[in-house]
Amino acid sequence: MVRFLSERIASAALTVVGASLVAFIILRAVPTNPARLIAGPFASDDVIAEVERALGLDKPIYAQYADYLVGFLSGDWGFSYSTGQPVYALIAERFPASAELALYAFLFAFVGAVLMTVLVSFTRSRWLDRFLRIFAFVNIGIPPFWVSLLFLMLFFEQLGWFPGPVGRGPAPGEAVTGYYTLDYLLAGDVGGFWAALRHLALPAFALALAPMGFLIRLLRANLLDVTHEPFVTVLHSKGVAPLSVHFRHILPNAFLPTLTAGGLILAQLLGGSVLVERIFVWPGVGTLVIDGILRQDYAVVQAFIMLSAFIYIGVNLLVDIAYGYVDPRVRRS
Amino acid sequence: MKQALTIIARDAELFAGVAVFTLIAAMAAFGWLLWPVDPLQVDVLDSLAPPSLAHPMGTDDVGRDVLARFIRGAQVSMLVALAVTVLGTLIGGFLGLLAGLWGGLFDTLVSRIMDAILAFPPLIFAMAVAIGLGPGISSAVIGVVLASIPWYFRLLRSEVLRIRTLMYVDSARALGASSFRLIRRHILPQTTSTILIQASSVFSFSILTLAALGFVGLGVQPPVPEWGTMITEGLAFALTGQWWLGFFPGLGIFLLAVSANLIADRLRDIYDPKSAVGAG
Repeated sequence: MVRFLSERIASAALTVVGASLVAFIILRAVPTNPARLIAGPFASDDVIAEVERALGLDKPIYAQYADYLVGFLSGDWGFSYSTGQPVYALIAERFPASAELALYAFLFAFVGAVLMTVLVSFTRSRWLDRFLRIFAFVNIGIPPFWVSLLFLMLFFEQLGWFPGPVGRGPAPGEAVTGYYTLDYLLAGDVGGFWAALRHLALPAFALALAPMGFLIRLLRANLLDVTHEPFVTVLHSKGVAPLSVHFRHILPNAFLPTLTAGGLILAQLLGGSVLVERIFVWPGVGTLVIDGILRQDYAVVQAFIMLSAFIYIGVNLLVDIAYGYVDPRVRRS
Repeated sequence: MKQALTIIARDAELFAGVAVFTLIAAMAAFGWLLWPVDPLQVDVLDSLAPPSLAHPMGTDDVGRDVLARFIRGAQVSMLVALAVTVLGTLIGGFLGLLAGLWGGLFDTLVSRIMDAILAFPPLIFAMAVAIGLGPGISSAVIGVVLASIPWYFRLLRSEVLRIRTLMYVDSARALGASSFRLIRRHILPQTTSTILIQASSVFSFSILTLAALGFVGLGVQPPVPEWGTMITEGLAFALTGQWWLGFFPGLGIFLLAVSANLIADRLRDIYDPKSAVGAG
């Protein structure tokens, strides 16, 4: 187990180096003047000179890369030139909003996909199965920002069931965790909790559709695969009750890939709700990034790009380790 | 050709996918002949008109005809996604082929680079490239191509590793076939179906990603009509009743992406009935 762990961690570290190198090349080495890119076209010459000094552009390229990586790892992500604040503080301040949205979207996607797929596969109805497949397909092809728009037009403008694009709604009196639903629960304010949930519902659901389709396809294929394994036939012929075969033997064997994919989807959601946040005016990291793109204030955007790679690699590592822990075959190979 | 048509006619889902895809492709190619309206023609007096006979998809905030813009958007999306798919297939496939065949240092090196690219969520990676090279259509294309290369690379590499150990490849080598001949005659033909399936998935991915880049302002630049940017423009009018501005371009993206996905999925079933995702 120790060997497995150290191998995985070493490989993740190597990927961190590779990913940061790729980001460095794209964002620092390729642009003709990275300082101009970061400070934006409206920055004065003084600011550009300042940024050049901060980036160490006079140093040799390998030293610049080392500065870049060390700077990122130590939380020195530069300054946002449109707001004048350090990028780290800006992102940290908005992270809980994005994380809460991502978690709820993940919850919808994962629970919805597993429930639907397991139930449909248990009923063995060809008609329901076909419906589920088409549902998964449609979900994967929907552009999330378009479906957000449709949701708003239908559920807010036409029906008035959910709040419009006003972000997270009223903030709880005391911000303990930064997660509105949790803070309201801790304060014992059920009405506030309900309001926060209603603000979350549409964006979270819009984000959840594509991952849900993906998970349905994966779990469905794995369930079908396991159902056709010889050991299932043996269990049936021994007279084990169908319910027990299905939930105690087939499901656990088919579930691992879904769990793995679930982890990666969570990582993607944490860094990938950019487009949907914009539509719902969600005060998260995504809105910050799009504002950064529009104002050409790229320090924020660059930090976000590295950050999402780090989250992705980190979650990947955790999933790998969990997998090895659960399935001894992975550990040995 | 006749065989392909028979397969399509027998499979209802594949038929639906191919039909929708062909319809959009035909609209992109010939739509401007049937609807000869200039997508850039501004007519402020007739702005924000709802869908009618004169403007089947309505007009936008400066009175441009949405149907004409939709058709031009289809051309842009189709051409760009096609370019991305072809480039990604060629570059990623070629690298994967060589890595699988040569192994060694080349394989290790390229595999590491691919892992580094895969460490970014695909959309974020394409965004990074588009920013680094400066917003615009060519940087968007390069970004999406680079994001799609690792998938082809991994697929082709593992396919080649599998095929090269097969008996008939050994026999051909023993008979003195050159590397080039091995690839061209014995390995590449075995991978056509895999590449085809991957290419239709990548087509769908690039449609969605290009629209997303356009949506955040990093893709095709105005005034060229592109579906993603059209949705952004429609955003401001979505909640004041002018639903047609954002609805139709999104519908186009959706139909194109779903039909390409559907084709990929059915092909996978037909070529490889035992594959995990296609089972049943």
